[in-house]
Amino acid sequence: MTRSEGLPVPGALPAQSTAEVDEVDLVPVRTYWQLVRKRFLQHRMATIALVLMLVLVTSAIVFPIIGGDAWYKTSLTYGPNDPSSLSAPLGYDNLGINIFFRLMKGLYTSLTIGFFAVLIIAGIGTTVGSIAGYVGGWVDNVLMRVVDIVLSLPTFFLVLMFVAFMGSGNVFVIIFAIGLTGWTTAARLVRAEFLRLRESDFVQAAKALGASDRRIVVRHMIPSALAPVVVASTLGIADSVVTEAALSFLGFGLRPPEASLGNMLTNAQDYFYRQPLWIWYPGITLILVVLAASFLGDGLRDALDPRQRIEA
Amino acid sequence: MTRQDDGTPLLAIKNLQTHFATADGLVKAVDGVSFSIRNGATLGVVGESGCGKSVTALSVMRLIERPGRVVGGEILFDGKNLVDLPDDEMREVRGNAISMIFQEPMTSLNPVFTCGSQIAEAISTHGGITGDEAHKRAIEMLTQVGIPDAARRAGEYPHQLSGGMRQRVMIAMALSTNPDLLIADEPTTALDVTIQAQILELMKALRERNRMAIMLITHDLGVIAEMADDVVVMYAGKVVEQSDILTVYEHPHHPYTHGLLASIPRLGEKRERLEVIKGVVPNPLNLPAGCLFRRRCPNAMPICEVAPPLQEIAPGHLSRCWLTPAGDPPSVGEAPGTDAALVAAAALSVEQ
Amino acid sequence: MASYILRRLLQAIPIVIGISVVSFLIVHLTPGSPVDKFRTPRVSPETINNLIRLYGLDQPLPTQFVKWFTHFWTFPFDNSAWGYSFTDGLPVRDKIFARIPSTLWLTGVSLLVTVIIAVPIGVLQAIRQYSWSDKIITTFETIGYAMPTFWLGLMLKQTFSVQLNLFPLFGENSFGKNGDILDLLWHLALPVTTLAIIQIAGWSRYMRASMLEVLRQDYIRTARSKGLTERSVVFKHALRNALIPIVTLLGLTVPALLSGAAITETVFSWPGLGWLSVQAVTDRDYPVVLATVMIGGVMVILGNLLADIAYAVVDPRITY
Repeated sequence: MTRSEGLPVPGALPAQSTAEVDEVDLVPVRTYWQLVRKRFLQHRMATIALVLMLVLVTSAIVFPIIGGDAWYKTSLTYGPNDPSSLSAPLGYDNLGINIFFRLMKGLYTSLTIGFFAVLIIAGIGTTVGSIAGYVGGWVDNVLMRVVDIVLSLPTFFLVLMFVAFMGSGNVFVIIFAIGLTGWTTAARLVRAEFLRLRESDFVQAAKALGASDRRIVVRHMIPSALAPVVVASTLGIADSVVTEAALSFLGFGLRPPEASLGNMLTNAQDYFYRQPLWIWYPGITLILVVLAASFLGDGLRDALDPRQRIEA
Repeated sequence: MTRQDDGTPLLAIKNLQTHFATADGLVKAVDGVSFSIRNGATLGVVGESGCGKSVTALSVMRLIERPGRVVGGEILFDGKNLVDLPDDEMREVRGNAISMIFQEPMTSLNPVFTCGSQIAEAISTHGGITGDEAHKRAIEMLTQVGIPDAARRAGEYPHQLSGGMRQRVMIAMALSTNPDLLIADEPTTALDVTIQAQILELMKALRERNRMAIMLITHDLGVIAEMADDVVVMYAGKVVEQSDILTVYEHPHHPYTHGLLASIPRLGEKRERLEVIKGVVPNPLNLPAGCLFRRRCPNAMPICEVAPPLQEIAPGHLSRCWLTPAGDPPSVGEAPGTDAALVAAAALSVEQ
Repeated sequence: MASYILRRLLQAIPIVIGISVVSFLIVHLTPGSPVDKFRTPRVSPETINNLIRLYGLDQPLPTQFVKWFTHFWTFPFDNSAWGYSFTDGLPVRDKIFARIPSTLWLTGVSLLVTVIIAVPIGVLQAIRQYSWSDKIITTFETIGYAMPTFWLGLMLKQTFSVQLNLFPLFGENSFGKNGDILDLLWHLALPVTTLAIIQIAGWSRYMRASMLEVLRQDYIRTARSKGLTERSVVFKHALRNALIPIVTLLGLTVPALLSGAAITETVFSWPGLGWLSVQAVTDRDYPVVLATVMIGGVMVILGNLLADIAYAVVDPRITY
């Protein structure tokens, strides 16, 4: 859709001013980041999600420190029938472990897994995508076929196999499994952005000025291509946390006494009848993490990359 | 459907205001525009991108989409005010008494329906005939707009036709209901120069045959010269000059019109370089006080800090500029500079 | 068209080989040997060596791969093509084929439910963009999207099976009621609801986005300028275009129809392919694992091809 006029897009206006411009005409000078912040804050759910995410991350860091060893220390004095108190808002489980502190420790573990898995995803994705997009030719071809192959394999099953065969219950194996299978989307996004940027005026200009390939890629293209990666990574945190939980559910996640949201959910299953609430605590926490991450991702996409507005 | 010329204009737009409440602020895309179109006449609306000419047209069609809204003014057509016409009555006007063709023939036709069926749809919506008959009429229309082998073309999808052909299909669709007014929004801008000329010729021929009025929106004064009887020049959502075609070309008054005219190349004229109008259209979110053109105006004077009113400088010739009808700076004691402050105050109270 | 399909199939060959190599390597590079679990004091070393020879594990990896890969494609004629299961010694091919009907029931019905519900929801949201109904539905969609499948399944099970006792806890048929279609549907209710809720959340979002994209196209403005009713603009001009990407999505979903919904099947002990594959991973039943990964990969490739063909069928602009 191209309309020469119609809806004026205020953000796009300064870009037209390539002609000789009377300086006073450039009234609304806003930097890119000011615009990003403005657009992000306009996205109300994203702002709420940001606050929620900060609360979750802070709790995941602070409460395990406050609680010390409470998250795994069993007790014979307390049990599921003891009322909740200020020091144990969610009561105690069948082993007398303080559920609240265990939940916070589990949140910490899950967020850690999500964070590092996404680091791997972004790292591999950016590297593969930028090489494919910048070098092009047969290198691009080969790398994209590799992406096709990984994309054709059922992702979750691949993670499952990897974890089951390489060491179930091991945090590092879980992180690597999620990271190694999840980078394809990021790679495609970066590649697409690179293909676009390679032909763009400012990269052509940098080339004409004699900038080196490395400088062009590192200084000009990666920063511009980063927007989709940041968005994909934020959304990826949600996926990773859920994947960890699903692995736990199937029996390949962290094992007690380690705590993760996934294994708390799985253990709660055994108390389906007697303690129906136990499955809600980690479940709701997990959903909050996913909600926060997805709204945050949506908001970042709208703010960083308005062209990509259509989610798909 | 042609009606008698009893002196009342076919379409009269009065103080139209169409605003867009964007996330970044209120954009007054059309701000107090008035003009009218006589029966069977062609009015050219000219101006740079973003001056509000398309929004004016879409306001007439009531096709303004959120966050835009017509917030004031009247659009009188056939004795009805289109601004507050109920939706179902408006639908009967739209595509029937008033048709519109758009700038982008490539994207203006629905890709999943055949050209013939899209024309037949317009016919059966308004004409009371349906099915085979409407289809036959569609083929007739395609022949009329000069599409060879129309019967076959009617069965083709838009992507199978060239841009010029698609614009012909759009015209056929718009004219299939014998409208009294055709709004053509940059109908030739997206086309090759040779095709442009063909489409303009076609529109002229059809105008004669159907005796309809045309509101022709363009940034191209060449197209205006070719087609129009009257001209409205718009700038930043306002009319800045309005007159018949000859006056505008021979005696333009507003410096903006001067600028537009100076920027078209003319055959047989030797000039070192084409004139360009300095600067860009002001940001619609942040319009300057006073005359909106003053920052780009070669004739800018202190009085331009105050917004000039649209005033009649000669019979039928309106201009929104402080310059005297002769084109001189107004001096105190002379009309219209007399009591400039008073006039300015009056103008201000009208504008705000 | 035929030549296009042929070309696409030829292009898929390297990808299929790639998939095979990756899955083969994952299975064969794992620490330990597949026969380790037979090493108990009661099994003589000789038997173990026989097993190793039987499975060809004494040969170099590339040889093993080629043997396995070529044998794999003889499955239409040879029920041993995919090997024998480590757990019960049955031919893997027959084991997998036996599970296909159950999986198709589950995924097919849930996909049907999803499309029937998600498409109208997405359209409604698009034409009422930013309205309260749009916002409320979007919130539900996001929550649905955020819920882990197994958690939702467990919650449904807890509520409707355990507490309200309305639906069965697990399985496909009540005891002695094999082949009873009503009984089957009764068992299907909760797993289908689980899958459908998650899928509807995603599909209706997609439909909404697609419809919004179409609604701001120039040709929609043209349709309105013809004086068509809003109903005709939305349901004839817009919907027809907005469904094009949905048809593509449908093609891409086909592989999931067969490879199954591993987690949902596991939650409800639904005897489909997904559950089989999870069990196979748990038991390190390598022949079954390899076969399911291969099926999954090949299905994805076929699904992509199907999506492109479907695209050409519904969009007159695409011709091959």
